[in-house]
Amino acid sequence: MFDLIIKNITQRKLRTGLTVFGIALGIFAVIVMGGMSEHFNLTFDRSMSLTADKIRVLPEGGFGGGNLNESKVREVKRVPGVSDAYGLLEAPLDPESLGMFGGDMVLGIPPEKQELAMKDTKLTEGRFLVTGDSYRAVLGSGVAREFNLKVGDELEVKSKRVARAGTITHTRNFTVVGILEYTGSFFDNAVQVPLDRAQKFFDRGDTVSLILAVPDPNADPEDLTKRIELNVEKVKAFSPAELRKQIEQSLVVFSLITISAAVLAAIIGGLSVMNTMLMSVSERTKEFGLMKALGAETRDILFMTMGEAALMGILGGILGIIGGGALVYYLNDYLASKGTTLFTITPRLLVISIVFSTLLGVISGAYPAYRAAKMSPMEALRYE
Amino acid sequence: MNDNEAILRVRNLSKTYMQGKIPVHALSDVSFDVQKSEFLSIVGPSGSGKSTFLSMIGLLDKPTSGSVFIDGIEVTKASDREAPVIRREKIGFVFQHFNLIPTLSALENVDIAMRFARVPKSRRKERAVELLTQMGLRDRMNHKPSELSGGEQQRVAIARAMANYPAIILADEPTGEVDTKTRDMIVALLKELAEKGQTILIVTHDTAVSARTNRVITMRDGMIESDTKVEEK
Repeated sequence: MFDLIIKNITQRKLRTGLTVFGIALGIFAVIVMGGMSEHFNLTFDRSMSLTADKIRVLPEGGFGGGNLNESKVREVKRVPGVSDAYGLLEAPLDPESLGMFGGDMVLGIPPEKQELAMKDTKLTEGRFLVTGDSYRAVLGSGVAREFNLKVGDELEVKSKRVARAGTITHTRNFTVVGILEYTGSFFDNAVQVPLDRAQKFFDRGDTVSLILAVPDPNADPEDLTKRIELNVEKVKAFSPAELRKQIEQSLVVFSLITISAAVLAAIIGGLSVMNTMLMSVSERTKEFGLMKALGAETRDILFMTMGEAALMGILGGILGIIGGGALVYYLNDYLASKGTTLFTITPRLLVISIVFSTLLGVISGAYPAYRAAKMSPMEALRYE
Repeated sequence: MNDNEAILRVRNLSKTYMQGKIPVHALSDVSFDVQKSEFLSIVGPSGSGKSTFLSMIGLLDKPTSGSVFIDGIEVTKASDREAPVIRREKIGFVFQHFNLIPTLSALENVDIAMRFARVPKSRRKERAVELLTQMGLRDRMNHKPSELSGGEQQRVAIARAMANYPAIILADEPTGEVDTKTRDMIVALLKELAEKGQTILIVTHDTAVSARTNRVITMRDGMIESDTKVEEK
């Protein structure tokens, strides 16, 4: 029966081509939008897993909403159940180029905490920061690739400071002492430097952007989070679970928006399949009547017509995946030169796309197929 | 007549259509038998009920009352699931307009009837080639209907009708769309098949066709007016 299905859809090449193209456009959108959503999900997952054992302490007004400083770090450290605490300072690597998705950042970190903070992440080259390092930097893999840097090279970091006459941009070279392996996390786009040098260079006094608190092995992170908020004034603490929940909620909204747009495009493709199949069934009324007179069963006609619709769906899906994959490949390649990536095509996304396009074809073809299968052979044969 | 030898038995077959609120009796209490390898024709003017009758015995339409038995099976009692099986195993159709599938070759048009009967692929091809050779179309097998003459198309349709070794071939005006020379050739072909044991029932209004069958049933106003055996010339 497959040869008949193929014969039927190749018989009307232009119409089939346009229908397949409609589905392909929808799946193209699913791949591109879904690839973006998958990338953010994976990046978030990997970033979380690197610091999953720590409680994040932020200013009460949220990230960047107030000043945390070294004294707050000490306060957090004194809370019973906290085994260690340290501050991190975040600043853009190039303040003049904000970048579409945050871009590269400088992360000030106490040198002695870096290896611990990065958990099991290995270096591809050089070493981690050590106590006594001054203007030294450990680069994420993305930054190293973007600026084509290796250990021993110099990286120029810019700082914009407010002065009486406006803003003044300072620059300073940091010597690369280590390059991290690819983690798929935000750390790939980070330049990690000693915290005290970052505070000095960015003119931030002793302030930090956030504090990471390491719980005692026996402490319950949820209880400890509440205890930190109780003991330390004007801070908001997030347990790993709570942070994950909050970020996941925002990612769900992002995924919903992107995937909905893609699914809508694909559904429009599905409608084109239905339209094509309705036209085809109408044109072939007499043919279906004849097949029934020759002994075709309802399932034969259903299989044939739905098979045509499903095949168009599968072809559209494959074309959409190839097209979307090609665009994502070229965009990622281009963005890699800027030190970032935006899309990840996962096996899950590929399976979803092909299953979705096939189902779209089958569902869109169901009604036309039902009409064809339910035709009275006598009326169909009389149809002109 | 012995009922046990009849390939087709029709008993008190009636069909009434409603035209608005007015009942139209297309068939009224029709009964007759057809024996194996009979070559018979049903003739009559337009509206006499001959095409309605053909639809009833071909399971394309259901009668209002009465019974039709083909090869001993009461086909008028067939369910929607049984009807396709009876159509493909017991009946072969030949239509006035040939009704070949335009996208398929002659060979594929014959093959398709056997596909629905779930005949294995290798056997289907063998049988289709055999039939088309028998019809004198061996060198035209891979041509599409649009590349064949009317006579050739009708021969493909006859080959298709014979594909599943049906108990009876029902031909609805099989010479209605061909010239007289082709008509004679098609009738001769059908007659030859009947002589080899195939039961064939033709509906026609062409007396030149009915004259060459072995039995002529004349219908008028939904009833059998006459049933005549034709002497062999």
